[in-house]
Amino acid sequence: MPVIMTEGAFARPGTSLDFKTGTWRSERPVHKHATAPCHKVCPAGEDQQAWLAKLQENHPAEAWARLVMMNPMPAVSGRVCPHPCESACNRGHYDEAIAIHGLERWLGDEAIRQNWAYPVEKGPMRPGHVAVVGAGPAGLSAAYHLRRRRYKVTLFDSQPEAGGLLRSAIPPTRLPRDVLDREIERILATGIDFRPRVALGRDVVLEELSRDFDAVFLGIGAGRSRHWDVDGAVPADLREGLGLLREWLAVGAVPTPNAVVIHGGGNTAVDLARVMKRAGVAEVHVITASGLPGPDTDPDDVLNVVPRELEQAMEEGVVFHPHRTIQRLIMRGSKVVGVEMVRLKKLPNAKGRKSRIAFEGTETVLHVDMVIPAIGEVVDPDGVEALLGTHDYFTADPWGRIADHERVFVGGDARDWTRDFPGGTVSAAIGDGRRAAEGIDAAFQRLTPRLESRPDIPFETLNLHYYESAPRLRLPVLPLDQRNDSAEIEGGPSAGDALAEAGRCLSCGNCLACDNCWTLCPDSAVIKTVETASDGSHYVFDYDYCKGCGLCAAECPCGFIGMIAEP
Amino acid sequence: MTDSVHDLRARQPRFSGLEAGHRACQGCGEALGARLVTEAAGPDVILANATGCLEVFSTAWPQSAWRVPWIHSVFANAAAVASGVESALKAQGRRTKVIAQGGDGGTFDIGFQALSGMLERMHNVLYVCYDNEAYMNTGIQRSSSTPHAARTTTSPPGRERMGKRHLKKDLLSIIAAHHIPYAASASVAYPQDLRRKVRRAMEIEGPTFLLVHSPCPLGWGHDGSHTIAIARLAVQSGLFPLVELERGEVASVMPVRKAVPVADYLKGQGRFAHLFVEGDPRAREEREHLQALADYNIERYGLAGEGTDPYDTDGADTVRRGGSARI
Repeated sequence: MPVIMTEGAFARPGTSLDFKTGTWRSERPVHKHATAPCHKVCPAGEDQQAWLAKLQENHPAEAWARLVMMNPMPAVSGRVCPHPCESACNRGHYDEAIAIHGLERWLGDEAIRQNWAYPVEKGPMRPGHVAVVGAGPAGLSAAYHLRRRRYKVTLFDSQPEAGGLLRSAIPPTRLPRDVLDREIERILATGIDFRPRVALGRDVVLEELSRDFDAVFLGIGAGRSRHWDVDGAVPADLREGLGLLREWLAVGAVPTPNAVVIHGGGNTAVDLARVMKRAGVAEVHVITASGLPGPDTDPDDVLNVVPRELEQAMEEGVVFHPHRTIQRLIMRGSKVVGVEMVRLKKLPNAKGRKSRIAFEGTETVLHVDMVIPAIGEVVDPDGVEALLGTHDYFTADPWGRIADHERVFVGGDARDWTRDFPGGTVSAAIGDGRRAAEGIDAAFQRLTPRLESRPDIPFETLNLHYYESAPRLRLPVLPLDQRNDSAEIEGGPSAGDALAEAGRCLSCGNCLACDNCWTLCPDSAVIKTVETASDGSHYVFDYDYCKGCGLCAAECPCGFIGMIAEP
Repeated sequence: MTDSVHDLRARQPRFSGLEAGHRACQGCGEALGARLVTEAAGPDVILANATGCLEVFSTAWPQSAWRVPWIHSVFANAAAVASGVESALKAQGRRTKVIAQGGDGGTFDIGFQALSGMLERMHNVLYVCYDNEAYMNTGIQRSSSTPHAARTTTSPPGRERMGKRHLKKDLLSIIAAHHIPYAASASVAYPQDLRRKVRRAMEIEGPTFLLVHSPCPLGWGHDGSHTIAIARLAVQSGLFPLVELERGEVASVMPVRKAVPVADYLKGQGRFAHLFVEGDPRAREEREHLQALADYNIERYGLAGEGTDPYDTDGADTVRRGGSARI
């Protein structure tokens, strides 16, 4: 505003607001909503930071609603997921990672207890009827996410009850059946037409489904054990791990030799080892080519097991032999009397690809009377022969689309792993189901589906002066002498403990609404508002006055503010 | 967009005594300090300002950044003007609080006798000194508040000296010797603590004094974005202790949870760059000297914390969703 001169060369008083100090600026602060590391690594696609923020605001129901936008079964995944989010958590570099799994299960349990309604779109159904085959985590997730988008869904499963592997292969000590039943029941109650006892290839064929429905999602899992032998030798009485675990879940009995070797490094191996130990097997050995978690182990080389399960298994007396494989079976007639182990490691070869190298001279013998392979499963080709060809798994894009088969989608254990989308976990199956639903939705609407992409937020970007060290939530664990075949081993947190734990979240890459920028701006150029702020922030910059000093960016605890060159 | 942000500015959920558009440098600690002080003091105040940066950058003719009555006379007499205003208000039976403000030059040196007189006469005035440790407005000349060994244009390091030869004046002890009800030191790095101390002083009938450590990016030679980080290190190292004195006695201190080395504080600032010259034995000597001064403060005020305290140097600035963890 021009200075108005009056008689005698005095000027009328004015406000400094007429002087726009923003013109001094060479850099400007901007809000940048980065991807928190928990969200980045979550196979189910959950934004843990976002629902933890709702918990910090003391809105558990909203936190749960935010969570189930991605994952409809938090009570289940909170118990069985290996939680890569916790390994990636930035807080782990500061003191200890947030106990995300404990909070997830608490939200899931609260939702069941208080019967919170799933966020399903209201309104008439949209055109498009989808057949979902397999009511395991992938199928349930796909059905739920399609139903959320108001599509009609018919869900088929060969078993009398939904749940898939959750029901047939996970011990109730990890996943109590009433929790599983109630969470599935609530998902189905969103309006999914469930048809049990319908097996693909027996009661219904793929061609029929393709004809009668507008799209088909195959969440059929990997039901056939991978072939196993040692240099061609196989014991006559060979039983494989998943089959034994299923049998134990169905009839409550496992073989009880004096000593057993379980060959494999996944949850099936560890679950079965613990079941056999409890059933009275004196010596239970697990031989795995992977390493145990530890500072010297490459994260890619760690056993694919929920970390606390591994700890508990060791407590219970299961013996692990990491970085080893079985080189020779020692047989007496057709019976196993021992195995020869050898040390090995995954090392890069001349082409840079990692392969397993066994080290000569490290052979040791274990005397056992049973060997159980638990090295994974492949797709059972029954009913999908034409689609699968000679492969063990389906090859699909991130939305589960199979090349040359428009409107047939696949996800879960039946899908082959890719670098960006590794599989083999319940959460990965849940994520597959969601992306397939997005893919189907896009196909119906003739749109191109897109993956979310936001920048990462490294630990160094956080300003830790504003956080206080606080110990991680400790969940109650059943003492050794009270563990049996049915009682859940790890308990849930109290409401107070859950909220306190959520309070530890650093809010990486997203606004904490802590007021720091608003409080510390020397130029009053940060405006607090909830009306025009976006992206979860409570603040806007007033570029008329911001001089670009960068103080707000330096003092933002969560790395939500960055400085960019003035355009 | 401009209009809507402008409208929002008028509806901020805090009182703004010092508005935007002032001409302080990028990252000015004093501008931040003054904004925080007036914010906590509220609208029912009259300000008397000494000459200095604060006066100059806030009132470029014919504009003012102040949204409260404000008067400037000369460098030396902020306390005297405040005394007069306070007496006039008293005669009129009004209870508006008078705040005098000045930089360290106008407080430690030039306005010192007026300040002493104001305290001695027990005027109901809060005197706030924004301590940026030199005469910044006139081009970074040493004041009696400039720390030992700091470079200013009148205490340049060279063959004869390693920056300022003398020590920083212990003003707070002199103020305390007036036996006034309340005197405290605060830092812009701990805004919650600063605002609490202002509110405490505002409640007291009688003279009160607040020394606010306010980094000057230009004079101290650091980036404007480091103002808070530098101020925080001054407190965490013990070089600038945050204390409260009542009637001359130490009533409370902000404990130092884990003392950081003084060198961490020094090395981020150009005014101490000569203390990090390789191969100059005097550099090490002066660094040790400043460390010894910080250790002396820690011992003298009993700053060493016992375990963790939500009010200590690591706890007092903790935030949570929706604001600071403690007020």
